[in-house]
Amino acid sequence: MTGKKEGYIITSSPHLFSPASTSRIMYIVIATLLPVVVFSILLFGNKVLLLYVVSIATAVATEFVVKLFRGKDKRSITDGSAVITGLLLVMVVPPDLSPVFIALGAFVAIFIGKEVFGGLGANIFNPALVGRAFLSASYPVQMTSYSQPATLFSLGGVDGASGATPLAAARFEGIATPLKALLFGQVGGSIGETFALLIIIGGLVLIGLKIVDWRLVGGYLGTVFLFSGLFYLIDPSSYSPPLFHLLSGGLMLGAFYMATDMATSPFTRKGQVVFGFGAGIIVVIIRLFGGFPEGVMYSILLMNSLTPLINRYTLPKTFGSSREKGVVA
Amino acid sequence: MSKISFPHGVHPPEGKELTAGSEIEALPLPERVMIPLSQHLGKPAKALKGRGDSVEKGEMVGEADGFISAHVHSSVSGKVKKLHQLPLPGGRMSEYMEIEVDPEATKAVQFNEPALDTKTADREKVVEVLKAAGIVGMGGATFPTNVKFSPPKGKHLDTLIINGAECEPYLTCDHRTMLEHSSELMDAIKVLQTAFGFEQILIGIEENKRDAVQKLQAEVGAKELPVEVVQTQVKYPQGAEKNLIYALTGRIVPKGKLPLEVGVVVSNVQTLYAMYEAFFKRKPLIERVLTVTGDAITEPKNVRVPLGTSLETLYDYCGGLKGEPQKMIAGGPMMGIALPTVNYSVMKGSSGYLLFQEPAVPEEGPCIMCGRCVQVCPMYLAPLRIAALAKAEKYAEAKEFDATACVECGACAFSCPAKIRLVAWIRYAKNFINIRGL
Repeated sequence: MTGKKEGYIITSSPHLFSPASTSRIMYIVIATLLPVVVFSILLFGNKVLLLYVVSIATAVATEFVVKLFRGKDKRSITDGSAVITGLLLVMVVPPDLSPVFIALGAFVAIFIGKEVFGGLGANIFNPALVGRAFLSASYPVQMTSYSQPATLFSLGGVDGASGATPLAAARFEGIATPLKALLFGQVGGSIGETFALLIIIGGLVLIGLKIVDWRLVGGYLGTVFLFSGLFYLIDPSSYSPPLFHLLSGGLMLGAFYMATDMATSPFTRKGQVVFGFGAGIIVVIIRLFGGFPEGVMYSILLMNSLTPLINRYTLPKTFGSSREKGVVA
Repeated sequence: MSKISFPHGVHPPEGKELTAGSEIEALPLPERVMIPLSQHLGKPAKALKGRGDSVEKGEMVGEADGFISAHVHSSVSGKVKKLHQLPLPGGRMSEYMEIEVDPEATKAVQFNEPALDTKTADREKVVEVLKAAGIVGMGGATFPTNVKFSPPKGKHLDTLIINGAECEPYLTCDHRTMLEHSSELMDAIKVLQTAFGFEQILIGIEENKRDAVQKLQAEVGAKELPVEVVQTQVKYPQGAEKNLIYALTGRIVPKGKLPLEVGVVVSNVQTLYAMYEAFFKRKPLIERVLTVTGDAITEPKNVRVPLGTSLETLYDYCGGLKGEPQKMIAGGPMMGIALPTVNYSVMKGSSGYLLFQEPAVPEEGPCIMCGRCVQVCPMYLAPLRIAALAKAEKYAEAKEFDATACVECGACAFSCPAKIRLVAWIRYAKNFINIRGL
């Protein structure tokens, strides 16, 4: 016979694989975030660019050092997962934060938020939000001082710049911010959360590519809309309209890019809805009745802690198990 | 687009264009054959011949040993040279009967008289013929067909499903058989209908084989048979028995049970063709159609091959190997078994042989809990959970998560972005559950 008789590669079936890979998913997520990153630099200036560089570098370096000391699998250094954490952390802090603090936050995000639990996929809480929670608790003043963005768009007589973030203005001063200003990032807020329109577009791309499950995003946003809308219907003079709640603060960024973190959100479809619903309720309660004007971070972190439980109770029933009754002849 | 399907599943690249247009060719008689006595699910057959014995083409050389077993017949006339102990694909050992072929004597043997009265066949007679012909499920599971058609007392088979889904990528032998032998397939169905009086007969075919759908529909019309040819969505694993039953009838086979529990019996296209040859020609199962394909074979083909033919002979007939073959697979790329060498022979369940120059052998990474495996599993399992429990050696817990319901279709491992060998891990857990009687 012509050709090779032995020495063929032996692996277990299947022998075909989808093109999906962990790093591909990570880099697609990064790519959809890039427009938001670019505009955040335009809105808040070059100081923000420095924060991105410092944060990402610290996150990747932390990952590298940890992998140097433990773990055979070094791919998580380059697979983009640490880059996403570093990127997202900057997006949820105020523009004037010191680079030293962001480096500290990025270190905590990767080390405490991720590696302590066993690294990629094993962490319970969204690492970037762990970093933010750490910074909020440690440096409450710096973490709540928001400067105003540059005026990039002429929004027809709309003046977005009014000192505080729209949520704080609405909550503590009763000042409403126009939706247009929220959509186009002409408001104060964390670095990457203000330009709602770009976040929505990037998020929809991820849903289209099936990297993000619409059930979670839909459940989250839908719940916020309906629940905040309920209060608005009861008393429009004291509560903001539901669309304002959707577009303000970190909700869009949180819903599309943070709550959907694969490792820390449920892996069942039902669970995704449950997660979104729970997070939505928590956000509205914090925003309307809590001590903070914003509650996206805590809503996601709290639901992260419930994810294992949600997975457990929403596992699909095995095909043909007794609860599903077939049409028996 | 057809909406008839099952929930979940994946869409692997089809790869069928290599051979879908190639007519079935008959392999010339090999010089010798190596016939395994264990080419079916269940106990191996007992050898009836030994060294030096003469055998005739179609003669029984291995006798079924017990209820779940099957007869084995010689695909050639000639002389038994030796009985060997050699591995089967997957590694289990089996007795092989080496037969030196006598070409003249082989060619002299003809099969042409019917094995039963095809107009009045009753079920006992049909089951007897199936057993005598050594027919087993040729889709790959190789379960003895006579057993499948003998439901225990109290169970009634009201539906016959012919599985022409051929959802495994690259394989086209069922497609070509449906195109080229539609009349014979219908004749076999007619005998089964006479014997069993099915209330419905359905043929499920993925809609990427529209020509086969049309051909069979025309045949159904011409022969005025109560058969419905159903075009299903192209989705893997459409041909998995329980999923096909659900797609075509809406019936759900209970977990851990057989299709007969819901009154259904499913037969693969190749098996049906083997039944035709047994019913109408008294020809036992001694050859089958299979697909030889991939980018490392010179001429990909659909070939009718005498059982026991060596893979070397088969590949030589297909123009030999090409380039630098790295991986050889017995069966389809989703469920097939990788073979280390060419020292194997064609068996009843061999639906194809694939040869690839640059196979993907991805490295396993950490699970990122994306849940894709959960979303594609046709059995609604949580493969990531079972695999994690298997790695942690928690087999009893793996059973709690219904590891044993896994059909090993590979949809989970195909879709996994971390490239975790989910099927391998689940299989590992299943073995422990089995061995320890958990």
